[in-house]
Amino acid sequence: MWTTILCLSIVLFSVVSQDVYNNVVKERNDILHRELDMMLGNDIELCDSEMKANDIIMDLKRQEIEGGFLEPQAFNLSKHFFEYKDVVKESQLFKLIQKMPKGAILHAHDTGLLSPDYVLNVTYLPDLHVCFEENDIRLLFSTNTPDETCETQWQLMKDARYSSGNVERFDSELRKYFSIVIDNPSEVHTDVNSVWLKFQQYFITTGAMFGYKPVWEQYFYDTLKACRDDNVMYIEIRSVLPELYDLDGNVYDSVETAVSYKETLDRFMSDYPDFYGAKLIYAPLRMVDAKTVKQYIEIAKEIKRKLPDFFAGFDLVGQEDKGSPTKDFLAELVEARWELDYFFHAGETNWYGTSSDENLIDAIVLGSRRIGHAFALTKHPLLIDEIVKRDIAIEVNVVSNAVLKLVEDVRNHPLASFLAQDLPVVLSSDDPGVWEAEPLSHDFYVAFVGVASKHADLRMLKKLALNSLYYSTIKDKDKIAHDFEIRWTKFIDSVVRGNVFY
Amino acid sequence: MHGLIISALLFLVGQTSARVLSNKYDADRHILLSQEAELFLGSGVKLTEDEAKANDILMHWKNKEVDEAFANPEHYNFSKHFFAYRNDVSKSKVYQIIKKMPKGAALHVHASMMLDVDSLLRLTYEDHLYACYGDGDLQLRFADTVPAQLCPFEWNLLSDLRNASGDVAAFDTELRKHLTLYTDDEDFQNSDINTTWERFEKVYITVAGILKYRPVREKFIYESLKNFYDDNVMYVEIRSGLHELHELDGTVHDRMYFATLYERVTEQFMQDYPDFIGIKLILTSSRSKSPEMVRQRIELGRRLKKENPEFFAGFDLVGQEDRGRPLSEFLPLLMEAKEDMDFYFHGGETNWFGTATDENMVDAVLLGTKRIGHAYALMKHPMVLAKVREKDIALEVNVISNVVLSLVRDVRNHPLASYLAFGLPVVLSSDDPGAWEADPMSHDFYVAFVGVASRQADLRLLKQLAYNSIKYSALDNKGKIRLFNVFVRRWEEFVKDVIANDSLEV
Ligand SMILES: [Zn+2]
Ligand SMILES: [Zn+2]
Repeated sequence: MWTTILCLSIVLFSVVSQDVYNNVVKERNDILHRELDMMLGNDIELCDSEMKANDIIMDLKRQEIEGGFLEPQAFNLSKHFFEYKDVVKESQLFKLIQKMPKGAILHAHDTGLLSPDYVLNVTYLPDLHVCFEENDIRLLFSTNTPDETCETQWQLMKDARYSSGNVERFDSELRKYFSIVIDNPSEVHTDVNSVWLKFQQYFITTGAMFGYKPVWEQYFYDTLKACRDDNVMYIEIRSVLPELYDLDGNVYDSVETAVSYKETLDRFMSDYPDFYGAKLIYAPLRMVDAKTVKQYIEIAKEIKRKLPDFFAGFDLVGQEDKGSPTKDFLAELVEARWELDYFFHAGETNWYGTSSDENLIDAIVLGSRRIGHAFALTKHPLLIDEIVKRDIAIEVNVVSNAVLKLVEDVRNHPLASFLAQDLPVVLSSDDPGVWEAEPLSHDFYVAFVGVASKHADLRMLKKLALNSLYYSTIKDKDKIAHDFEIRWTKFIDSVVRGNVFY
Repeated sequence: MHGLIISALLFLVGQTSARVLSNKYDADRHILLSQEAELFLGSGVKLTEDEAKANDILMHWKNKEVDEAFANPEHYNFSKHFFAYRNDVSKSKVYQIIKKMPKGAALHVHASMMLDVDSLLRLTYEDHLYACYGDGDLQLRFADTVPAQLCPFEWNLLSDLRNASGDVAAFDTELRKHLTLYTDDEDFQNSDINTTWERFEKVYITVAGILKYRPVREKFIYESLKNFYDDNVMYVEIRSGLHELHELDGTVHDRMYFATLYERVTEQFMQDYPDFIGIKLILTSSRSKSPEMVRQRIELGRRLKKENPEFFAGFDLVGQEDRGRPLSEFLPLLMEAKEDMDFYFHGGETNWFGTATDENMVDAVLLGTKRIGHAYALMKHPMVLAKVREKDIALEVNVISNVVLSLVRDVRNHPLASYLAFGLPVVLSSDDPGAWEADPMSHDFYVAFVGVASRQADLRLLKQLAYNSIKYSALDNKGKIRLFNVFVRRWEEFVKDVIANDSLEV
């Protein structure tokens, strides 16, 4: 099955005895087999139909990789994501992965999940006002002209759009604020800070528009819908939980924002009872002082009291290299760790020996249930041991790491070595909407074809999906695993019958 | 053990008040960090008082560089292509220190790419050099009359072309481009691995044309050794296929002659520079050759070893790994040769995973290779990694080569960082420094030290890397002791110099 495993029948023309030769070949194949047996997914046993599906999948995968191996200039996945994100959608393997039940999304930020086209549509809602400033726009829903200062003047978006003379151009200019995708990323996104600036600008620009309660709730509803469409059955979503507002002048605090999420979820679940649900990780900004973190923690505790089944835990977000290191908040976080589960971002950096890199240690010692990114983990042998011992899942977001300038060629992504060692990995997508990726399919595809071993097969894909359920905070794991199995069987059936591509 | 500490810590955390707790926690966090530091390559080196002083100076400048870059990543060089920052490096105090540092041995360099391009250009001023300019290509060949080799246009004396050009400086600038990969062209810096290698091979062909002429090769060897010596390298293991050499009149010397030439020139060099302790040869064959041709090269290795056992270190296969034949195709004859000679295989110089290329590392290890060239793919292969530890197989890491030859851009993602963290047996080397206008070794040490290694990695790492280059060399014990003694003496001078150097004062 493995093309590189040598067969024993090579004709010998030397004096090395057949026995000696056979022994070396055997040892060689042994090592290769044992490595394959170590890989993530090794404990999955495929049934007959899964094996048939696997043959189909591996044929497609081999074609893509062997093509790239012979002609590296044609290999999409070593290029920038913006260059291939649309092209790969034509790939049969991509289509298949899209249809594949992928389990759960465990690492995604709430307002970064939907596409710029979706956000553009939001700007068509009535009562949206816009203020054009020098390099930015501000957006706010309001019945009257907003009181907030504006360098130019507030106008109704509708008026601005239709007085522009060219709606199409107006919209395409507007859309640029809702995506970080550009044609020449290597010239513009030259370093991690420049791309993060652009990335953060998206959240600032859209923040006030999304803070309008009806939009907020609809966005979340549609996020759940998009996940479901991408064959994701459950999501643990991170949110900074901003204050919301409505047109009557009401303001809703973080706790009420969480409640509005829960109500939206309930509405969605009654519309789509086959969706498994969602939970919330409260993840406010890390670039603050210890006093603020203490307030965050109080908010988290209150949400937990109010919505015990909906609340999953706590995290801190923002560019790690620039934000305060986790250790600055040790006193507060140590104290709260009996009451809150932690899901820290940590080691989302390619620095080594810096504060951002050492966040990994704090995440582990603070008892993080999962760690976001852990990109720097391969440089920390002791921490790898700890992660295995404590069974802490690593939430890997390959496309995010490529777009946000941690790694260029994804074949150099540390996920490859995580998979080789069978570390507890779940794949996720971070903020797929901002770089115009699907909720989860691009990340699975890139990890499977671009990062994992050429030999990694359906067992790895299934294991990754199962891991996302296993490492979630869902209480009744048997039930969701059972539901997953039903969907999986249907998927396998459609692959074997060839229906999956249509 | 660290697990226990964490458990104990968690237990304690449950018992006392928060402030006391986080103090305790802070202390234990520190323990965990220092335990990790103990695994790091070089942690076993004990610094003398003077070394500690030199280390303070070194780390002052290193931390300054790293912290400034951490705050302003837009100015950070090492996340860019080597060509984008090569000319800025000399301003760095850390580089200035490393430049003077004795580095022990260079264990992974290819013969024809050891010399700096300016010296190479000077060799084109030798008489009787003919040039054939083709479609973007250049062939060079020494001969007393027009060379017989095929030329798509025509052979001319380079000196005639140069004089006729009217602008010698401009002519040489053009000529120089054929002798080096170095360029400002960002498109080239961003090109894929095959495009880069094709250009690399073109440069090789042009340079090799000059080096077939015996008197020029002789100068080339001498000057190459001088380059390495001036970069504070005291011993070199050179990879070469030992081609035939010719005289002006067309007389051809066989490959064995080339070997004796190496010995003769090295002897001369050692007379001139007595604290250079010598060279050894790792005989190579191109990995795209047929098994029969590889067998013949191995046969040459056997003869060399018999006639010059001191000089001959072992055997290797070279060329772009993804495109050449995998080691497994040569398994029978390599297994046979294993009885007669040591191996120093290139293996896993690739960012593919699960292909014939990265699986070369398995064969290299099973064939008993003494060291592995590159082993770039090692972190994806836990079993091979275990074998590397068990058998103490050194990894010859060439960071700049991996950047220039399109494996990695931001060197912070280079697997060397993990090798150092795990304390694997690493030696640093430079592969083909002449081809990309790097110093013989200093640039590679500098980039590895500031760009790849932990912010905390210090003089102990540098000293250990130099030690390793002695320990994992093909020298016998006597040779290692000789090299070690030279190294120790020079190291003491170096440390004194760092302390006394006004320009490094903090
Ligand atoms: Zn994130
Ligand atoms: Zn090499």
